[in-house]
Amino acid sequence: MIKSGLPIRNLLRRPGRTVALVLLTAFLALSVFGGSIVVSSLRSGLDSLQARLGADIIVLPSSARSKVNFQELLLQGTAGAFYMSADALDRVREVEGVELAAPQTFLASLKADCCAVKVQVIGIDPEADFTVQPWIAQSTSRELGDMDVAVGCKVNANAGESLKLYGQHCHVVAKLAETGTGLDTAVYCNMDTMRTLLIAAEAKGVTHKISSGDGDVISAVYVKAADGYDIDGVMAKINAHVRKASAVRARSLFTGAADSLAGISRTVSILAGAVWALALVILLIAFMMMTRERRREFAVLRLLGASRKGLSSLILIETALCGLAGGVLGVGLAAMLVFPFTTLIETKLGLPYLTPGMGTILLLAIATVLATVLIGALASAFSAHRLSRTDPGTTLREGA
Amino acid sequence: MTKTKIPAIIILVLSLLLAIGSQTFMGACVHDDGSLGACHWAARVLSGIGGLLAMLAILALLVKKERAGLYLAMVPTALLGVFTPGTLINLCGMATMRCRALMKPAAMILLAFALAAALIGWLMSRRNHD
Amino acid sequence: MLRAENLSKRYFRKTGGANHFFAVKDVSLELRPGEVTLLSGRSGSGKTTLLNMLSGLLTPTDGKVWLDDIDLYRMDDASLSKLRGECIGVIPQGRSAIETLTVLENILLPQQLCGEKGDAKAAEGWLDALGIAHLMNARPAELSGGELRRMAIARALASSAPVILADEPTGDLDDENTALVLDLLHDAAKKAGRVVLLVSHDGEAARIADSLYRMDGGAIKVEREAL
Repeated sequence: MIKSGLPIRNLLRRPGRTVALVLLTAFLALSVFGGSIVVSSLRSGLDSLQARLGADIIVLPSSARSKVNFQELLLQGTAGAFYMSADALDRVREVEGVELAAPQTFLASLKADCCAVKVQVIGIDPEADFTVQPWIAQSTSRELGDMDVAVGCKVNANAGESLKLYGQHCHVVAKLAETGTGLDTAVYCNMDTMRTLLIAAEAKGVTHKISSGDGDVISAVYVKAADGYDIDGVMAKINAHVRKASAVRARSLFTGAADSLAGISRTVSILAGAVWALALVILLIAFMMMTRERRREFAVLRLLGASRKGLSSLILIETALCGLAGGVLGVGLAAMLVFPFTTLIETKLGLPYLTPGMGTILLLAIATVLATVLIGALASAFSAHRLSRTDPGTTLREGA
Repeated sequence: MTKTKIPAIIILVLSLLLAIGSQTFMGACVHDDGSLGACHWAARVLSGIGGLLAMLAILALLVKKERAGLYLAMVPTALLGVFTPGTLINLCGMATMRCRALMKPAAMILLAFALAAALIGWLMSRRNHD
Repeated sequence: MLRAENLSKRYFRKTGGANHFFAVKDVSLELRPGEVTLLSGRSGSGKTTLLNMLSGLLTPTDGKVWLDDIDLYRMDDASLSKLRGECIGVIPQGRSAIETLTVLENILLPQQLCGEKGDAKAAEGWLDALGIAHLMNARPAELSGGELRRMAIARALASSAPVILADEPTGDLDDENTALVLDLLHDAAKKAGRVVLLVSHDGEAARIADSLYRMDGGAIKVEREAL
């Protein structure tokens, strides 16, 4: 049947019907591929966030606002600043079961040269740090010296350029790989640089007063629990031992995000399922109507030597070709809607969002096209069977 | 209606979306202090290019003999629009800003389709000796 | 040779007196190469049902159909369909064009369904012989009833099938074209040695027939047999 070229000629010479079928299957493919990419990106973002945090416990200042600000920074990149005394670090290190403890200090910039918005400046101790350092090391072998900064991928500055923060010139030594989290809009420096920036910030009227008054300040301590110790137990000990600070499980900071992701995933699945069920019904109705319309055509084909199997395969080939064209079109349209607007989707959802790798994208695309072809074939199978059983003698005599 | 008018209709819709959208739903950043960023001017130029494409499309619908030439003129016009945001006129620095996250990709997609439609329209018109 | 042996076709009635009736009853018939056989009879006498059984399209309730030494109804559908495409050219009653193909493509279709490319030149020759060569690239929707009928005849003649079964081939045709078609069918039998069966009410058809049969109530009666 393929050699006769009949399937292709039938499709090309009935453009209205062909276009309708192709558009319907394109809509199917668009919903599935688009939905899959969004859900997959959300999952990748969440995994990335978990990997990036790297710590078991995070110690924050005890005010309730701190935890909220920290979550907003991680998930949405909203710049914030909250402080506690640097003594808290020493007290955390004294707690039994704490293997590693690394401080971080936060500062929200004014609108920097680079950017029309605030960026989050994060000071780390390169010697103690175990979360950010490995990530920086992927982009540069150079250590963060004084007035050196490493920037997240969404900050508008590249390695080798200069960045002005609170009037201070900083040298960009590395641009970090994308994480799909709020950390992509952060700027990292060492503690000496942070101290300089804090002083410059005070000079510009931005205060960071804490209740203890003078002395060094930090914003968070990242804690890795030692092997064999219960993390909740260590967390409880930290809460008991360190004043004016609150220890939380790192996992709990993105429980909300995980729940949102589950919710979105469920919604996308339900919507995609509804679209497919509706499309299947529409296709079934369309093919049943077509059965009536094409009875005479199939009777003639039987007359001229087409077998029942040949007639079934004619319909299935036509449907498969429409499904293939629609699948490719739908995947292409979905790609145009999802990939250029990645940043917008991330901002609007307020969740970590990391586009999966090319391998995953290709696999999803191929699976979507195959599924579209299969559903078309399924919808047409009954009609194909019925048409192949057409009685040519009776059919041709009708309307003779 | 002749088939060679169809690309012009498509381009008219796309260009109106670009012209109006660049000033509204896919417009430039709104700064807290009311200042205008570079992206504001990029949005203005995109609106202008959208308007120009719309006018060329309307002319192509009305005029038969010069239709091929009008389609051809839409090609460099669309290309000008492609190079406007980010290349000819700067946008805001951060990737999360509205001009980079929404305006630029939306404009690129609209202009890419307009460009493809213009090329197809030109080929069709030439074949029909319009 | 195409031979029918005690062919019967019974249908079951949904309404009326008896619960079944015989559209064709115990028909035996021999169609020889080089001969034109005419089958006539009133409407509803079973002519088309008999023709459909002879062409392998309708399984008989009883009896057999032999094409040379091949029992048609012992074959599976794929083999029978292939045989029909290669060996039996059917000209059915009514409209029998594929609407999405041009006239020329319709003519070449039987050969293409058998996996061949089709002889376009020969097909054009047949279209010319039937006076519709100028409609070669037209679609069936643009043709009149008479032109469609001539297209169906050209399709059967172009296929080189050794058997031609024609159901009312001159319906929709004027006198001139009727004579032309009958001459071509006569030549197909006499010059090309094909088996030709005509089902027709047309009085003109009798002039080219070697054998004449009449059907009435599903049964067949010989009116004139070929020598």
